[in-house]
Amino acid sequence: MKTHKILIIACITVFILGIIGSIFMILKPHGHNVEIIQDGKILYKINLDNSSDRTIITEYQGNKNTICIKNHQIYIEDADCPDHTCIKMGVLETEASPIVCLPNKLIIRFTDTEVI
Amino acid sequence: MSAKKLTQLSLLTAIALIIFVIELRIPDIRIPGVKLGLANIVTVYAMYNYSPKETFMILSVRILLGSVFGGNVSAIIYSMSGALLCFCGMLILRRIIDKKYIWLCSIIGAVLHNTGQILTAVIMMKTTAVFSYFPFLIVAGCIAGAFTGMCAQILISRINLTK
Repeated sequence: MKTHKILIIACITVFILGIIGSIFMILKPHGHNVEIIQDGKILYKINLDNSSDRTIITEYQGNKNTICIKNHQIYIEDADCPDHTCIKMGVLETEASPIVCLPNKLIIRFTDTEVI
Repeated sequence: MSAKKLTQLSLLTAIALIIFVIELRIPDIRIPGVKLGLANIVTVYAMYNYSPKETFMILSVRILLGSVFGGNVSAIIYSMSGALLCFCGMLILRRIIDKKYIWLCSIIGAVLHNTGQILTAVIMMKTTAVFSYFPFLIVAGCIAGAFTGMCAQILISRINLTK
């Protein structure tokens, strides 16, 4: 009975910590600098404010992702992986939710480092 | 293994697979990796009614065939690592948590599952950027785990295949 109580309290604590963490991640202000990382290497660093509309194509083991920058927003337009999760994620909005493509090991996220 | 046991295990695997395939049709939320994991009702049920070896067989067959049916074999390493960590955690919890608190076991299992997936993602993608998902996955894991755990609890108190 006692172990159960401890475990219940542990669960509630983890849950509350998770909620606090989520809120913190959502509210965390982000800059305008975006980095595109593939397989642990930074491929591009882009300042969304200064960038003109363009398309970047990344390739990993023969699989392509088409990244689009439009109206100072970044999103993945096309990918030839089966699940298309990265496309469904839409426009990169917060630091909390980087666009991730697991099969192609691609991440697009906001970064604190300054890009000119 | 007796024919009766074999039949029961394959029946459970089939049920888990059907639930898994149906769940694939539910449109997902924008946060990737967040889903109910209804197929884990069967895992939790098996955990409390069968031996660890038998549960592991159900779980691994479900994941292998599930990823083939889902058409996303590349994601198998993520489901496998999550399931393994969840399985190990529930093995320990099974000894200390009795049948009245199965939902608790399920919640901890779900959180462990998501932890395993995040750790694999960190190793696979060689970056810690994915850690920012972790809080969301924990909250989702708690809710989904509680739900599947309740379902399993109702099932266990009503059905007993092993008799």
